[in-house]
Amino acid sequence: MQKLKRRSWGGSGAARQGGFLNLPNDNMIKTLGVAVLLCLVCSVVVSTAATVLKPMQVANSLLDKKKNILAVAGIYGDADVDTLFQQIETRVVDMETGNYTEAVDPISYDQRKAANDPQYRVELSKEQDVAQIGARAKYANVYLVRDGEQVSKYILPVKGYGLWSTLYGFVALEADANTVAGITFYEHKETPGLGGEIENPRWQAIWDGKKLLDQQGELALQVIKGAVDSNTPQAQHKIDGLAGATLTSNGVSNMVQFWMGENGFGPYLQRVRSGQMAANGAAEAYTAQAQTRG
Amino acid sequence: MASEAKKAIIEPLVSNNPIALQILGICSALAVTTQLSVALIMCLALTAVTAFSNLSISLIRNHIPSSIRIIVQMTIIASLVIVVDQVLKAYAYETSKTLAVFVGLIITNCIVMGRAEAYAMKNGPWNSFLDGIGNGLGYSLILIVVATVRELFGSGTLLGYTILQPVSEGGWYQPNGLMLLAPSAFIIIGLAIWVIRALYPEQVEQPDFEMQNAHQVPAGSHGGAH
Amino acid sequence: MSFLRRTLDSIYPHVAEGAKYAKWYPLYEAIDTIFYSPADVNRGRNHVRDGIDLKRVMIYVWLAAMPCVLVGCYNVGLQANLVMQSMGVTEVMGWRGDMLALFGIGVDPTSVWDNFWHGFWYWFPIYAVVFIVGGFWEVLFASVRGHEINEGFFVTSILFSLIVPASLPLWQAALGISFGIVIGKEVFGGTGKNFLNPALTARAFLYFAYPAQLSGDAVWVAVDGYSSPTALSVAASGGVQALQEAGFTIQQSLTGYIAGSIGETSLIAIAIGAAFLLYTGVASWRIMVGVATGVVATSLLFNAVGSDTNAMFTITPQWHFVIGGLAFGMVYMATDPVSAAMTDWGRFYFGVLIGLMTVLIRVVNPAFPEGIMLAILFANLFAPLIDWFVMQANIKRRGKRYAKA
Repeated sequence: MQKLKRRSWGGSGAARQGGFLNLPNDNMIKTLGVAVLLCLVCSVVVSTAATVLKPMQVANSLLDKKKNILAVAGIYGDADVDTLFQQIETRVVDMETGNYTEAVDPISYDQRKAANDPQYRVELSKEQDVAQIGARAKYANVYLVRDGEQVSKYILPVKGYGLWSTLYGFVALEADANTVAGITFYEHKETPGLGGEIENPRWQAIWDGKKLLDQQGELALQVIKGAVDSNTPQAQHKIDGLAGATLTSNGVSNMVQFWMGENGFGPYLQRVRSGQMAANGAAEAYTAQAQTRG
Repeated sequence: MASEAKKAIIEPLVSNNPIALQILGICSALAVTTQLSVALIMCLALTAVTAFSNLSISLIRNHIPSSIRIIVQMTIIASLVIVVDQVLKAYAYETSKTLAVFVGLIITNCIVMGRAEAYAMKNGPWNSFLDGIGNGLGYSLILIVVATVRELFGSGTLLGYTILQPVSEGGWYQPNGLMLLAPSAFIIIGLAIWVIRALYPEQVEQPDFEMQNAHQVPAGSHGGAH
Repeated sequence: MSFLRRTLDSIYPHVAEGAKYAKWYPLYEAIDTIFYSPADVNRGRNHVRDGIDLKRVMIYVWLAAMPCVLVGCYNVGLQANLVMQSMGVTEVMGWRGDMLALFGIGVDPTSVWDNFWHGFWYWFPIYAVVFIVGGFWEVLFASVRGHEINEGFFVTSILFSLIVPASLPLWQAALGISFGIVIGKEVFGGTGKNFLNPALTARAFLYFAYPAQLSGDAVWVAVDGYSSPTALSVAASGGVQALQEAGFTIQQSLTGYIAGSIGETSLIAIAIGAAFLLYTGVASWRIMVGVATGVVATSLLFNAVGSDTNAMFTITPQWHFVIGGLAFGMVYMATDPVSAAMTDWGRFYFGVLIGLMTVLIRVVNPAFPEGIMLAILFANLFAPLIDWFVMQANIKRRGKRYAKA
């Protein structure tokens, strides 16, 4: 056995007698040496790959987020993502006050990570937590679709628990902050064919034009079981449930109730409706757009 | 030598397939096969990792102390997997998002470790490299079959192109929801093994015990006579 | 010798071993043994002397399912006709309408005759498709493998046709039974070697593959665009109270005039079948008792624990028995001798496991309203293990007794 293991690399053992490689494999020094050398080589390889590729990965992840936002704004696909995204202004809203905040950088702020970050995490009580998400971030991203000076759409990130998994998506609202302009989901693990139908463009199309608030100004938009009777005056606040997926439908309904309600974007939307935000937003538009371009 | 190289690359395809005969790497075969494009990327990643881990381990095989043998193999494989994962995140972001944790789990894929231990530790670098490619291709073959069936019947598409127009988009095809669930991959792999063993009967294991054939119709005493 | 015997005998040389049509021997044998007892005798060591063979057993189960078929057809027609009446529709659409018109049958929900035939034209096509497709696979595998055709698919096909909604598309019925017969049974070596109940395997396949046609509220009444919740989904929304408010009564479930799968709604029909199966000794009473024990124990436990958010906790045992497919599954599916446990005590434990799982899935799992199908398939997997433990216990006990003596 010893003899076999003593074999050196390429049979040139005689030339390198006494060298490190000629030590028996089970020798303590050789074992340690091989381990150290291997670790060195591997760590160099791994860290090189990570550093060299980092910028591309960051760009990719940003691009992906932008694509989702453009998709719910209904302007994805016509041109290059970055060009299109110039119409969109990224802002951060303090959920408590409903005001824009400069506390964090709107471009790099990651709301999903922030919800787990003790610094930004806001625990929800059982009564508040209708969407079953446990906690939300203190600040939330909002995306404003600009049409010249005017904001034409507000895009709000939402999440809520369905049947098997948390659904992540965006809700787009028209300039009145009351009419739904679209809804998309970009991540979920619901049953294909049942709850998974939340991805179905036909079902998502039902949402367009529905109103959040009823006559009394109460949040009324919800997903119901079965089909909506379009003759009733309440039809504009009701969405057809998904066949055979009551719990996912309820999850979507609760998600909308939470995020459009007072613990979600409620205060912010209230300000938008009362006209306080439009001027505010427009005045700072230039700085924000410059940031997006940079 | 050439025949050994040929054997290293051809054998794992069907006659010694890592999934169908050795029943290795099933976990990822279930998880990444709902879409053909994702499965293809996974195949590429695994083939690359197996080939290069075989190559590097074979190169230093005579200097690996047996006491830390497994750790050395693991370190090399893990490094390769991280590199592959980083490359995917940079160049195939969409797919890497779908693959998520499963690229990382190549580390634990028995095919990679199995080939390193069983082949690369005993054979030269070139043959080991080919053996890695061969096993990667064997794995790929099954994954592609499974993913083709699952995507085609589960979503009516192949590589994202609509082949069978689903009802929900105004077509005629009713997508089979089971195909999008993990158990369908088990069933498809099982059927694939059935086909392979029907073609290569030598792969069939010996039964643990013989069933007694009690009900035998002897020649000439057919049917009832009463 | 009769004409039939002579004809069969004259065919024999053509299908005998080595003859030109030897591949067709299984089909010949199947027809022959329907009319005549086989003359061949056991060659091995094992001997069981019994007048009843596999073929008779299968035919008994088939007969036992008949009450469910009759009531099922009537109920499917009744439900459809009632809804059509309330919607003001007087004609059945499509080929079924042509069929009914051909025989001059109306759609009056008060007429037993009209209801039965309307329902019949829903059940019969499903059964015919399932029988032909299932038979095709059975004959194919028997011919290729050279074993006899087993009448298992008689039972599989009739049971399968009773546990699906009447509105099931026929192509799905064909696909489902193909999966059930081939994957659930033939790949393991055919009748007697399958560890899963083929009819339930077929249904489980459809349930996961095409959930829109097998679950939800829209599929249970055979009228397009009409949805009616089943008793189970009502119960899930508000417990016993909701059931009573929605007008469900235990009496209704006894007669079976409620929406549901074709053959599973009528407790009386199922009870007749159960009595027949128990009298002939085809089904094991231990399994049925086990299932009942499991259901009662588990649901009483849930009743006692209670829950503020989950209304299913309040469903009492008697309601569990009368809603959904529990009774049907308990009598016809759980007692399948091949996929159930084989030992006496094993059968009881096997039943308890089914009862427990059924209630557990119904009450706790949010996604599946009914649990009996998955519970039986689950217990099927454990049947060999249950038997093993029972036998080990027996060996130990006998060992002790021997040591004493």
